[in-house]
Amino acid sequence: MIFDDLRAIQLRCGYLPAAELQALSKGTQTPLYQIHSVASFYPHFQLTEPLRADVRVCADMSCHLNGACELRAALQQRFASAHSGEVALREVSCLGRCDHAPAASINDYIFTDLDPERAEALIRAAIQGAPLHGPHPEQTRTTCASDPYAGAEPYGVVRKLAQTRDWDGVLAELKASELRGMGGAGFPTEMKWSLVRKMPGAEKYVVCNADESEPGTIKDRFILSHLPHLVIEGMIVAGFVTGAKKATIYIRHEYRLQEEILGEEIRRCYRSGILGKKILGSDLDFDLDIFVSPGGYICGEESALLEAMEGKRAEPRNKPPFPGQAGLWQKPTVINNVETFANVPQILARGVEWFKAQGQNGSKGLKFVGVSGHVAHPGVYEVPMGTPMSKVIFGHAGGVRGGRRLKAFAPSGPSSGYLPASMVDVRLDFKALADAGSMLGSGAIVVCDEETCMLDMALNAVRFYRNESCGKCVPCRVGSQKMADLLVKWTQGRISEAEYRADLALLEELSEAMRLTSICGLGQIAPAPVTSVLKHFREEVDAHVLKGQCPSGACHSPAGLTRGAPRVGIRP
Amino acid sequence: MIDLTIDGNPVRVPAGTSVFDAARMKGIAIPTLCHLQNETPVGVCRLCVVDTGARVFSASCVRPVEPGMNVVTNSEKVQSARRTLLELLLADHPSPCARQQQSGDCELEALGRAAGIKEPRFSKRTLARGKDDSSLAIAVDHDACILCDRCIRGCNEIRNNFVLGRMGKGYAAGVAFDLNAPMGDSTCISCGECMVSCPTGALTNKGIVGTVIAAGDDAQLIEAEELLHLPVFKGISGTFLELNRGAIVKRRVRHGEIICREGEFGSTAFYLLEGKARVSISSPIAHVKTEGGARGFFKRLTSTLAVRDSDAREEETRDRTIPIDASVDLAYENPVAELGPGDLFGEMTCLNFYPRSATVRAETDVLAYEMLRNVLDILMKNKTFRAQLDQNYRRRALENHLRGVPMFADLTPDFIEHLKESVELVRYAPGQLIARQGEPAESFYLVRIGFVKISENYPGGELVLAYLSRGDYFGEIGLLGGGVRTATCTALDHVELVRISNEDFRQMIEQFPAVRQGLEKVAAERRAQNQQRLQMVESVPIDQFLSQGLMEAQSLLILDLERCTRCDACVNACADAHDGVTRLIRDGLRFEQYLVATSCRQCRDPLCMVGCPVGSIRRRNSLEVIIEDWCIGCGLCARNCPYGNINLHPFEVVAEDPDRPGRKRAIVKQKATSCDLCTHLKEPSCVYACPHDAAHRVDPRTFFAPLLGGK
Repeated sequence: MIFDDLRAIQLRCGYLPAAELQALSKGTQTPLYQIHSVASFYPHFQLTEPLRADVRVCADMSCHLNGACELRAALQQRFASAHSGEVALREVSCLGRCDHAPAASINDYIFTDLDPERAEALIRAAIQGAPLHGPHPEQTRTTCASDPYAGAEPYGVVRKLAQTRDWDGVLAELKASELRGMGGAGFPTEMKWSLVRKMPGAEKYVVCNADESEPGTIKDRFILSHLPHLVIEGMIVAGFVTGAKKATIYIRHEYRLQEEILGEEIRRCYRSGILGKKILGSDLDFDLDIFVSPGGYICGEESALLEAMEGKRAEPRNKPPFPGQAGLWQKPTVINNVETFANVPQILARGVEWFKAQGQNGSKGLKFVGVSGHVAHPGVYEVPMGTPMSKVIFGHAGGVRGGRRLKAFAPSGPSSGYLPASMVDVRLDFKALADAGSMLGSGAIVVCDEETCMLDMALNAVRFYRNESCGKCVPCRVGSQKMADLLVKWTQGRISEAEYRADLALLEELSEAMRLTSICGLGQIAPAPVTSVLKHFREEVDAHVLKGQCPSGACHSPAGLTRGAPRVGIRP
Repeated sequence: MIDLTIDGNPVRVPAGTSVFDAARMKGIAIPTLCHLQNETPVGVCRLCVVDTGARVFSASCVRPVEPGMNVVTNSEKVQSARRTLLELLLADHPSPCARQQQSGDCELEALGRAAGIKEPRFSKRTLARGKDDSSLAIAVDHDACILCDRCIRGCNEIRNNFVLGRMGKGYAAGVAFDLNAPMGDSTCISCGECMVSCPTGALTNKGIVGTVIAAGDDAQLIEAEELLHLPVFKGISGTFLELNRGAIVKRRVRHGEIICREGEFGSTAFYLLEGKARVSISSPIAHVKTEGGARGFFKRLTSTLAVRDSDAREEETRDRTIPIDASVDLAYENPVAELGPGDLFGEMTCLNFYPRSATVRAETDVLAYEMLRNVLDILMKNKTFRAQLDQNYRRRALENHLRGVPMFADLTPDFIEHLKESVELVRYAPGQLIARQGEPAESFYLVRIGFVKISENYPGGELVLAYLSRGDYFGEIGLLGGGVRTATCTALDHVELVRISNEDFRQMIEQFPAVRQGLEKVAAERRAQNQQRLQMVESVPIDQFLSQGLMEAQSLLILDLERCTRCDACVNACADAHDGVTRLIRDGLRFEQYLVATSCRQCRDPLCMVGCPVGSIRRRNSLEVIIEDWCIGCGLCARNCPYGNINLHPFEVVAEDPDRPGRKRAIVKQKATSCDLCTHLKEPSCVYACPHDAAHRVDPRTFFAPLLGGK
C-alpha cells in the first residue's frame, strides 16, 4: 500500500525526499509520476523538509468565528523575527475541533481553545524540540439514549442474527424505520443495502465513512469515542445482510484518539469472536480494519474515499456506477456514515416502533448534532429528530454567547448555507430543512451572533471549498477560485452599481454551472453559502459593495478604504 | 440494444455505448475538450454535459446509455453552462497560446470563439504555473494547461511510458513529469504523444524553425511512415515525426568526400548506416612558440609551432588521447581513427552547438542519417539505441578514457574489463545539479559529453574552478577525503557522465596502490589549493577584487594611468613580439590608478573554457588559463572571452588538402593564444617598450597589499 510506504518514509525522514521516492519507485515497480501524484495531493505528505515548528491554524467557520484570524495575525507578528527556517505558519482546513475553537495543529499535534500566549509557548517548545504531547487522557464513556446496551453486554443484535439469519427481516425493519444516511446526502439506508445484497459476486465490501471534515461537524468524533460498539455492530450487520466479508473504517488522521478507541474495540471483538472467521460459532466471516486518511475534505465524498483506499488521488468518480454497483476495487460496496451504522443496532435491538417514537413532530429517531460558533456551550448533543433549531441553540447549547443576539445559523456547516435568525424555529428534519432552502446534512450547527459579517462568512465558506477542491473537474477547480476572487473584490467595496449588477449576474451563471456540471457534491454545493447570504442578507452585501461599509462592524473600518489600506471585509 | 431519445430523435445503440457516441452516430456533435476517441474517457472538462432530466447534468463521454433515457444536448440551460465553463478556462488561458500561434488550432480558443466569448468576465489567473523549456523537442507552458488529462493518458495508456501525471490539488493542480522534474530531466523519451494529444498550447512541438537540413542531391528526405518502421522510432508518435519532417535526412557521401570539418559550426549529428569513415585532426599538434631572436635588429620576431617534447610547459597534461565528439578518441601521437556502421558522431555539435571537433572523411561510399537535435533527442532516449551506444562506448572508448587519467595507467586489463561492465552511463540536462558541495560523496565521474561546471562557494559568491569536458574526471577528492563533496558540480549543457560507484572506486584503489597514491597526491594538492584560496578570499574584504580575479594571478600586467600617456607603444611592441598579432589591448578593469590591461585575468567564471570541442583549454591549478597543444583553432574560446584576451594566431602549415584527399599543400591554420607574458623574453615586450615606465609586470599579492590595508 503506497500510503503505508510514504508514511514510513515520512516517519523516518520527517518528509519525503526525492531519493527515497526514487528508491520506492524502483522497489515497488511504481512509476515515479504515480508516487508524486498522490504524494502531492494529500496535505499529510510533505515533499519538502519541514521547518522546526509546522503551525497550521484552522481557518474554517467555527474557528473563524472564534478568533482564528486574530490568532494567526498575532502569531505572525510574534514570530515575524524568527529565523525563516524555524516556523511555518499557515492555514489549514477544519480540524474537527469546532467545539473548542480556535484550534491549530503544531507538528501534527492538535491543540484547542488556543490563545496567542499559549500558542506561542507551544511553538517555542516545538522549535526547541521539546515533546508537545503526552499520552491521550483516559476517556470515560458518556451514556447515550441511543445505546441499547447501556451498561449491559453489547452486540446483542449480532448474536441474535448469527442464529436467526433473518437478513430480509433486517431490511424490512430498516425500511420501516425510514432510516436515511446521516452523512449529508440522506439516501435511504435500506435501498443502499438491498442494492448491494442483490449484486452478484462473492467479493463485496462494507466501508464506514468516518472522515467527517465538513466545518462544524463533530458528531462522528463523539460517536466514535462513546459508541464505537454500535458503529462496529452496524457494519457487521451490513456485512451479514449484503454478503460482504471485509470492512474498513475510513477515519481522518486528525482523529488519533478515536482511532485508538476503535482499534481497542475491534481487538476486543476479535477476542470475543464477534469479528473474524466463524463469528460466534456460525459459518459467517467478517473482518474489520481501520484506514487512516492522508487528509482532505474531498476524501469524505464516498467515491473519492474509495479512490483513496485504492492508493490513488482522492478524486471523485463519475457516477453512475454508484459504489453499491462498483465500489472499492470495482466491487459492490456498502458505504455509510458513522451515525448511520450506529443507528442500525438501535432499530434492530429496540424495534422500529421505539425508533419512530424517539422523534418529534413526525420525525423519526435520535440525532447527534454538533453545535459550535458563538454559543455558550458548544458541543455534541443527542436530540430527537424534529426538534426545533431554537431548542438546540438556546436550550442545549445555552444560547448565544455573551448575551448577544442571534443573527444567523448554518444548519450543517457551509454546505447548508446560512439561515437568518427569523428561521430559528425550523425543525431538525430532512424535509423541513430542505423546504427552508437548506439541509439537515451532517448536523453541524454553526451559530453566528449579531456582530458577524455575513459577506465575510460567505467568503470564508467559498475559500474552504476552493482550498478543498480536488481539481479534477473544471467547474469546481476554476469556478471556486473565480468565485472567491469575485467575493474578495466585493469585500474591497465601492463598486459601481452597473458593475455590481453584472457581477451578480455572473455569479448566478457561475453558481448554476457549478451546481449542474461539477462531478461531485463539493462543486455542486460550493455556491450554496454565497447564494444563501445573497438571499437572506442582501442589504449587508450591498452596503459593502456599494458603500464600502460593514453594517455589523466586523470588517475593518470604512475609513481604511479611503487611505487605500486594508479592505473592508477580508479579515487578516 | 438500447432505445433512448436524444434531442427528440429515437436512437438505438448497443448497451455500453456512451451518450456522447450515441449522439455522434445520430450526427449530433457534442463539444468536448478532454475526450479523445483513442483514450479512455475521464469526464473532467465537463463541456460534453447533457441534460438527462436528473438533478444535475451528466458528462456524456462517461455516461452509458440507459433504456428510455431522454437526453437533451443543446437546450439553452446546457449551452449556458458550457459557455460558463469555457469562459472560466479562457479567463486563465494565455490567448493566443503557443498552439494558436503556431498552427491556429487551439481547441479551447476555437470553442470560445464559437461560443462568442470575446473577453472572459472572470478574474485572470492568480497563480502562474510557469513554463518548462528543458525538453529539446517539446515546449511546455503550464499556464495553458486545462488539465484535460489527454497528455497523461497518451503517455501512460497509449505509449506505456509512465512519465506524466497530475500533481497537487485544486486550483494549484497541474501536470508533472516524474517527481515534478523539468521535462528534459525526466524519464520522458520524447515520443511526442503528449504533445500530439494536447488540445491547447500547453505542450507544443518546438519545431526547429528554419533548420530543415538542406537537402542536396546526396540527401534524401525520410517520410514519417518509413521512420516508424525503424526499430529506434518504435513507440514514437507518427504525428510527432510528421511535425518534425525534414529534421532527419539520409545522406550519401562518396568515397573521399568530407562529411564534416573540424572547427566548423554545425547543428547536426550523424549516424553511420553503411561504409567506413576516417576521423582525424588535421591541425598540427603543437604550441605556438615565439622565438626570442636578436632584439632590435629584426624588429619582427617569428612565431613557430613547437611540439610538446621540444617545448614542455608547466602543468601541461601528459594526455595520451584527444577527446573528440564521437564514440572513439584519438591517440595523441596519431590522431586518426575509423568509424563504421552503428557509430554516432557530432552529438556535441548537435546538442550544444559547439564547433566540430574533428574532420570526418568517407573512406568508402557512406550512407548516414544526418539529424537535428530534436530527432537526436528521440534516439538518445530510446532504450535500444541507448543500449547500443552504451555498448559501443564501453567497447571502444571507455578504456581510453580511463587510461587517459594518468594515474589509471596502472590498471590491469582485467580490472578495466570489470569496470567496462559495472560503470553506469548517466545523462544530465542543462543546469542540473550533479553533486553539491557539502553533500556526501558517492561516485567518481568521467565526463563523456558536455561541460560540467565545478564551482566552490565562498563568502560573497561562487567561484568557478573549471569547466570539465570529455575525458576529464571529478569526484576523487570527496571519495578519498572526508567523504564530502568539496565543490559543486553542475551540468552546463547536455552532459553524459560515466559513473564509477563508490564500491568500484574503493576496490580500485585497494587493488592498485599506485592509483591510490596518484589520486591521493592530486587530491591533497587540490585540497591545499582550496584551503589557500579560501584563506585568500577570507582575508580580502573586497569582493570586487576577487571578482576581477587579480589576486589569484601569478603575475599581472598593469598600467599606471598616472604615468601612461596612451601612446600605444606597449600594444605595438606586443604585436611586434608576436608575428604582428597583438595580444594586448590597452583597456581593461581599473583598480585605483592602475589599469589591469587585458591579459588573461583568471575570471571567476572562465567562459573561454566552455565549449572547446577538443577540451584543449583549461585552468591550471593557479587558476590561470592554459591552451593545450591539440587546439584545432576553431576560435570559440576567443569569441567566448568577454575581455578579448584570447587571440587566434594564423600560420601556414603543410597539411592534407581538404579538397584533394591524399595530397598535401600549404594552408593557413589557426591556434588560439593568450598573453604568455613573453616568457621567451627577459621581460614582456610591452613593459620593455613603455617609454613612461607606466607598464609593469607585478605579483598582485605583494603589489596590491598596501592598498588592501596591509592585509
